[in-house]
Amino acid sequence: MEKGYLSLILHAHLPFIRHPEYSEFLEEDWLFEAITETYIPLINVFDKLIDEGIDFRITMSLTPPLISMLTDALLQSRYIRYIEKRIQLTEKEIERTKHQPEFNQLAQMYYRHFTNVRYVFAEKYHKNIIHAFKKFQDMGKLEIITCGATHGFLPLMNNNINAMRAQIQVAVTHYEKHFGRKPRGIWLPECAYEPGVDQLLKEAGIRFFITETHGILFASPRPKYGIYAPIYCPSGVAAFGRDMESSKQVWSAKEGYPGDFSYRDFYRDVGFDLDYDYVKPYLHGDGKRTNIGIKYYRITGKTDHKEPYSHERALDKAAEHAGNFMFNREKQVEYLASIMDRKPIIVAPYDAELFGHWWFEGPDWINFLFRKIAFDQKTISLITPMEYLEIYPVNQVSTPSFSSWGYKGYSEYWLNESNDWIYRHLQKAAERMVELARTNLHLDENSSLRNKALNQAARELLLAQSSDWAFIMKAGTMVEYAVKRTKEHLSRFNKLYDDIRSNNIDVAWLADIEGKDNIFPDIDYHVYQ
Amino acid sequence: MDKAIIKEIFLLIFEVFKALYEILWKKIKNLFGLTWDRFFGFSDVSSEQATYQEWGVTDEDKWPSIPEAPPINLEEPQQKIERKEVAYLPKTPDLPDGYGDNRIVLMVRDPEWLFTYWELRKDLMDSVLNTLGAMAHTVKIILRVYDVTDIIFNGYNAHKHLDIQVTGGTRSWYIKVSEPNRSFCVDIGFLTFNDTFWALSRSNAVRTPCMGVSDVVDEKWIGIEKLYEKLYVPVDTGISESVFERAHRNWQESLKEYVSSPESLSGLAVSKK
Repeated sequence: MEKGYLSLILHAHLPFIRHPEYSEFLEEDWLFEAITETYIPLINVFDKLIDEGIDFRITMSLTPPLISMLTDALLQSRYIRYIEKRIQLTEKEIERTKHQPEFNQLAQMYYRHFTNVRYVFAEKYHKNIIHAFKKFQDMGKLEIITCGATHGFLPLMNNNINAMRAQIQVAVTHYEKHFGRKPRGIWLPECAYEPGVDQLLKEAGIRFFITETHGILFASPRPKYGIYAPIYCPSGVAAFGRDMESSKQVWSAKEGYPGDFSYRDFYRDVGFDLDYDYVKPYLHGDGKRTNIGIKYYRITGKTDHKEPYSHERALDKAAEHAGNFMFNREKQVEYLASIMDRKPIIVAPYDAELFGHWWFEGPDWINFLFRKIAFDQKTISLITPMEYLEIYPVNQVSTPSFSSWGYKGYSEYWLNESNDWIYRHLQKAAERMVELARTNLHLDENSSLRNKALNQAARELLLAQSSDWAFIMKAGTMVEYAVKRTKEHLSRFNKLYDDIRSNNIDVAWLADIEGKDNIFPDIDYHVYQ
Repeated sequence: MDKAIIKEIFLLIFEVFKALYEILWKKIKNLFGLTWDRFFGFSDVSSEQATYQEWGVTDEDKWPSIPEAPPINLEEPQQKIERKEVAYLPKTPDLPDGYGDNRIVLMVRDPEWLFTYWELRKDLMDSVLNTLGAMAHTVKIILRVYDVTDIIFNGYNAHKHLDIQVTGGTRSWYIKVSEPNRSFCVDIGFLTFNDTFWALSRSNAVRTPCMGVSDVVDEKWIGIEKLYEKLYVPVDTGISESVFERAHRNWQESLKEYVSSPESLSGLAVSKK
């Protein structure tokens, strides 16, 4: 019998990026890279475990923008084009490296990888990999949780309850449409919680959420079990706190596993390394060098000199790290169990895209970890937060503290000199949206155009609220794109607001932006009333 | 010599000096503007740079100078490099400078800092300044930050207040309160030389987050000290402190040293720490 539990949580999210107005678009690659390097490798891991009858539990948030993109026909067909180009390039690479066995082996590895990914994407799951995740959920292995509709940072909505509620409700409706039931848990955007948010979750039927460590640690009254058991907010929604110890082992730039010298180096990509004319057909229209996703070197050390990558050696390392992680959790659980009067839960959340994209061997690490937990020990069991609540339905009532998982633990990363200008506009737009919803409570039959405009206004507001834009403005790369997106959605919203109020809706323009910003086709603006 | 010619020559010399003076003055102003920004880096960033006129203040010289023309942009070359990273950049629409509101909004950044932004209507400010008559020339624009923790604020019963003078043209400000778990609101208005405050707008109230392990204990769920102890490596400071205090301090330190995140998708650093 286990002495405690480990709950691995992956937060899978990308902002909604879809530009039908261009034949190709650089930032759409974020999705394609994540499909190739993270989502499909994870699906392969889960499928294989299931095929071999190895039990596991994992929790994943799939955010509404991500689900929207993964189920979008245009992006699906663009992804096929993307992966086929990579297959084509690896074919050339196998030929080019035929006299360099170390590289040739790697070229073949990438060829196998890309062709497999293409097969899983296009044939096995018919271009819609949401089906794969739904299948794992229906089998009871995966708990899919939701997120804010567009990953809006709730505490920075300045208590506009209607705007915050819309982020939750729209997400829940969207989830239900794709997974056939309501979500039981939520990953709050940026893990950002402020007291009161739980009330909105309660209204939406959500049972639990995750907070950063100090969300629980600074909760009031003082939680008896610290972060090793959930607490119930006054609303009755459960809050689970992130365990720093297990997070650090994976995350930390200094001590974390992904920095091991045997692992693949993220930065050495053929998009930059190879002859320009040779790679040009695989770059974007502007011809600027970018990552293509074929990388031949390992991290090697803190040096510019890089040794060729050995996948075998890296896999050995991933297995070793999985063993180390498990050992540490066993020790942790043994200690915690000795001082607690119930089985502790260790909640270990990570960005999903860390696994595979940044840390190439990440999905293998998860694979090894799950197998080792199944066969090599008896101290810990994998669990989802919901299963833990079923085992321990009685928990302390306490209010978590305002917190986020961003730099310094509060709102600073999303509210600073680089991005604070957005809030006067976002908050105004949110107020105006509520006003529109309240002044258009009942539309008659002849108001279908008005109805469309109101729904589009809601979409534009939601898209402008993505915390990703503020994040990118602060992070300092691709800033212009984030600024442009913020301004674009807000301008569209403002025009819709004016047009609706003056009853002068620009039909052609509305159709155009409906085609571009087509997230949440079934949205109902009444959610803001 | 003909008097008219002498006059013409003098006028010409005068014009030349005037032109020189204007050029020089502009340079000084620009320089001052830059320096000002450096020292008081709170002024709104880039596109939000408001014009002086929005404040509706009659006598420009009373106020610290905010450059009218955009100051020399030191970051221009860097921005050019960034621009190259983006594949397609059709023109980005501009957002309105304001919405015709007269309001101030207060937001929470963390246990120590608040952020406020405002928009003031010129006609309202003018009417206040008219009422003030001759005193209008002496007024300063201030933010009056009230501690309104656990009270129903009526404008006069704040626990304490703090005045911050803001500069013309600024439309937002970071306020250091350094007080976790307290409630604040802020007025913006004119302060006359005899300390009369004329509020132009009052903000919403906000509460700063907690920053420490709670003192409130539920008797049915007494905290297990060892669990908090285990969370952190004990630091021996020689000062006697409870496990909870130590946990609090260690956590504060770890918040400040957040592990930097691995970068993620093509520059979209989705990882947080």
